[in-house]
Amino acid sequence: MSKKALVFSIAVLFGAQAGLAMASNPDTGPGCGLGKLAWGEYKGQKEIAPQVFQATTNGTFGSQTFGISSGTSGCTHDGKIMGEHKTTMFASLNFEALSAEMAQGQGEHLTSLATLMGVPADRHAEFFAMTQERYTSLVQAGEASPVALVKSLNDAIAGHPVLAQASVR
Amino acid sequence: MVLSLLAFLVSLLVPLSSSAQQSDRDPYLTQLIDQAKQEKLADQREWHLLLHYQKGIFGGYESEQDDPGFFMSTTGKTDPAAELAETLAQFFSAELVGRSRQPAQCAFIARYQWLKEQLKFDPIRLPPLACERFDRWYNDFEADSISLIFPSAFLNNPASMFGHTLFRVDQKGQTEQTRILAYTINFAADVPPGAGLAYPIRGIFGSYKGYFSTIPYYLNVQKYRDIENRDIWEYRLNLTETQLRRFLMHAWELGNAYFDYFFFKENCSYHILALLDYADPNLHLTDEFLLWTVPADTVRLIVSKPDLVSNITYRPSRSTVIKRKREFLSGEERDLAHRITQDLTELNAPLFAGLNPPRQAFVLDLASDYLRYRIDTTNSPKPEWKERNREVLKTRSQLRIPSEEFTVRPFAKQPELGHKMFRAALGGGWRNNDTFEEATFRGGYHDLLDPEIGYTPDAQIEMASITVRHYNRADQTRVERATLLNLVSLSPIDAVFHAPSWKLNIGMNTIRHNDCQLCSNGFFNSGIGGAKELRLLKREVLFAFAEAEANVSGAYDELHRIGGGGTIGMLADITERWKMMATGSYLKFPLGDKSDDFRWYVGSRFTVARNWTVRLEYNHRGHDNDVLFSVQAFF
Repeated sequence: MSKKALVFSIAVLFGAQAGLAMASNPDTGPGCGLGKLAWGEYKGQKEIAPQVFQATTNGTFGSQTFGISSGTSGCTHDGKIMGEHKTTMFASLNFEALSAEMAQGQGEHLTSLATLMGVPADRHAEFFAMTQERYTSLVQAGEASPVALVKSLNDAIAGHPVLAQASVR
Repeated sequence: MVLSLLAFLVSLLVPLSSSAQQSDRDPYLTQLIDQAKQEKLADQREWHLLLHYQKGIFGGYESEQDDPGFFMSTTGKTDPAAELAETLAQFFSAELVGRSRQPAQCAFIARYQWLKEQLKFDPIRLPPLACERFDRWYNDFEADSISLIFPSAFLNNPASMFGHTLFRVDQKGQTEQTRILAYTINFAADVPPGAGLAYPIRGIFGSYKGYFSTIPYYLNVQKYRDIENRDIWEYRLNLTETQLRRFLMHAWELGNAYFDYFFFKENCSYHILALLDYADPNLHLTDEFLLWTVPADTVRLIVSKPDLVSNITYRPSRSTVIKRKREFLSGEERDLAHRITQDLTELNAPLFAGLNPPRQAFVLDLASDYLRYRIDTTNSPKPEWKERNREVLKTRSQLRIPSEEFTVRPFAKQPELGHKMFRAALGGGWRNNDTFEEATFRGGYHDLLDPEIGYTPDAQIEMASITVRHYNRADQTRVERATLLNLVSLSPIDAVFHAPSWKLNIGMNTIRHNDCQLCSNGFFNSGIGGAKELRLLKREVLFAFAEAEANVSGAYDELHRIGGGGTIGMLADITERWKMMATGSYLKFPLGDKSDDFRWYVGSRFTVARNWTVRLEYNHRGHDNDVLFSVQAFF
C-alpha cells in the first residue's frame, strides 16, 4: 500500500467534507499544518499522521499562526481541528490503536472516541462491549475509510437499546 | 526623593521631544507614550519577558526572537523603548501585522493586555478591537491547566538524545482516559526530512528555525510511545486562572514568529520555559540556563519550585509495556505469546486452550502489542504481520471480556530524581611507577557507571570532559585525558528486541609507547555489537563490540596508527548503590605504527548520596597500568 494512496484518500476525505464546513465556519483554514515536525524519516503507515499534519518547508506561511501546511482541510488557520472533523480525524489518525482497543474491550483511545461521539461516561462499558462484539465489521469499515467507521459506530449506537437513549448527538 | 525629582524632570523633558517629532499623531497616543516613559515600562521585567529581551554582555538588550514580524519597530530587536512606543502606536490601527496578519491588538494580545492594565487605556480614545480568531483558538482549548510532558531520552536519534519537553493544555472535564485529546504546545526545529548528520551540526550553530506548534497529544503519544518507544512523564502544573490565560495569550503571540534554534541552549526546553516565565514572572526559570538547556534539568527545576507541580503521571512506552508483561507471565506462557506472533495455529494448540479466559486475553494482548511494535519500528513492515495482528485481535474480540488493568512500573525513575548534569571529581593513584593527583570537570551528562536513577538504562552520553593530572615523580602537570564525545548505547537482545548496541568515542588520553613515557594521544573509536541482560545477582548486562580505531600521537612511527578489534564487557548492579563494570579489548593496528594493544578495565562505583559518588578504577592499556581512586560530585 503506497503512502501516497493513503495520503490521497485522507486528503479526499477531508477535502470533500470541507465543502460542507465552509458554509458554517468562517475560518476555512488551509489545513492541519499543526506542526513543524521532522517525521519524514518514518515509512509506511506511520506517515499518515505526519503527512496530514506536516508543514511545508518552503517558508510560505500565509497568514497562519500555528497552522503551517499543505493542503488538507479540516483545520483552522490557527492549527485547530474544526469541530465537525474532530471525530473523523481522531478515528483516522488512531485507527490501529482503536482496532486493538475495540478487540480488547477497553482503552484510552476507545474512551476518547466514545467521548467525542457523545457517549456519556456511565455508558462507556456498553459502548466498549458493543465495539468488541462488532469488531470484524467495524474494522472492515475502518479499513475502507474513517468516515465509514464513524458511520458504522453511529448506526450501531442508534440500533443499541441502551446507547441510543443515552447518547447526546 | 531623588527618584521623584528625576521623574519630574523626565516628565518635563519627554513631552517636548516626542511632540516635536510627530505633530500629526493622535494626542492620546502621545499621552500614552509619555506615560509609559514616566512609568519606565520599557525597563520592566514583564516587557522584557514579552519580547524575550536578554541583557547583552556589553550592556543594552537584544531579543532572542528572530522573526522581524514579531517587532513593531524596525529597531525593536535591540530597543525595548522604541518597540514599546511603536507597539502603542499600532494599537490605534486595524492594519494587519505579523506573520499571522491580524491587527496588533490581536496578534500581540498579551502585550496589549499588559499595556492596557498598566496605562489604563481609555476605551473611547483607544477602542478595543474584537479578536475573533484568538477567541476561537482560546476557547477551543477548553483549558483547565497545563502539564509539562517529558518524553525520555532516546539515544538512537541525535534529535532526542537528551529527551524533550513540551506542554499539554489540559481540558476541562478531561480524565486519565481522555487526556490524549488535549492539544499540546511544542517548540521544535524545522528540520528538512532526511537531514541525518547535518542535524546536530547545523543545530549547534542555530541555522534551523524553530517554531511553536499545537498538535493534539494523541499524535505525540503515537510518536514517542509507539514509534520511538520512549517512556513519557507528565507533570501537572498548578497555575492560577490568570496565569493560565497569560500563558495561552503569550503562546498565541509566539505562534506568530520563530526563534533560531540552537541545539544546546535555545532549544525546545528553553523556549517553552519562557512561556511559564511569562505566566508567572516570579518563577525566573530561563535565568537559570546560561550555556545549555538540558530537558531533564528543566524538569528538575520546575519540580523544585514549591507547589508548582501537583501530580506526576507515568506513561510507559510500548517496549516497556511488552517487557513488563513478559516478566509477569510464566516462561511457558511467554513463549506461547511469542509463538503466536509467528504462527497462528498456536491459537488452536492445547496450551492456549488450557488457559482461563482472562489469561488468554492477556497472552493475546501481548502478542498484538508485539506485532504492532514490529510494524511501527520497522522501515518496511511485512504485510503478514498486519494480517496476523488482525487475526489475533479477532480471536481476542471473541473472548468478550475487557482486558484487565495492568500497572506497568518504569525501568528508569523520573528524571528529577537523577543526579545533576555537571560533574567534578578529585582523585589520586598510581601509574606505572609514579603517583599522581588529578582533577576532572565534565560538562555532561551521564556515563554507564554514574548512578542510574532517572536516566535511560544502559545509555551513556559524555561530553566536554577534561582531566588535569600531576605526576609526583616525573614532576609533571598535564592534561591527562579529554573527551569531546563518548556515547555508548547498550540494547539488551532477547526473543522480542533485537536492536544493535553501538559506541562512539572521540577524545585524547595519555599513553606510554615506544620511547615516550607520557604522550598525548588523540583517538577516534567506534564500534557495533550486541548486549544480553542477565539476572544472576541483581542485574547484569553483558556486551561485545567489533570496533575500529584511529590514533594520532607523537609516540607513533608516522605519527598515527589505524586498526580494529573487539571488546567484551559486563556492567553489573551489585547492590542499589554499588555498580561495577569490567571490559577487555584487543586491537591490532596494521596501518601507520604497526602495533597492537591489550586493554583491561575494572571500575567500581559506590553512591554516597544522589549527587555524590566514589570510584575505584583500574586501567591497563598496552604498557600502562593505572589505578585511580576518585570522589565525584554532581552539580
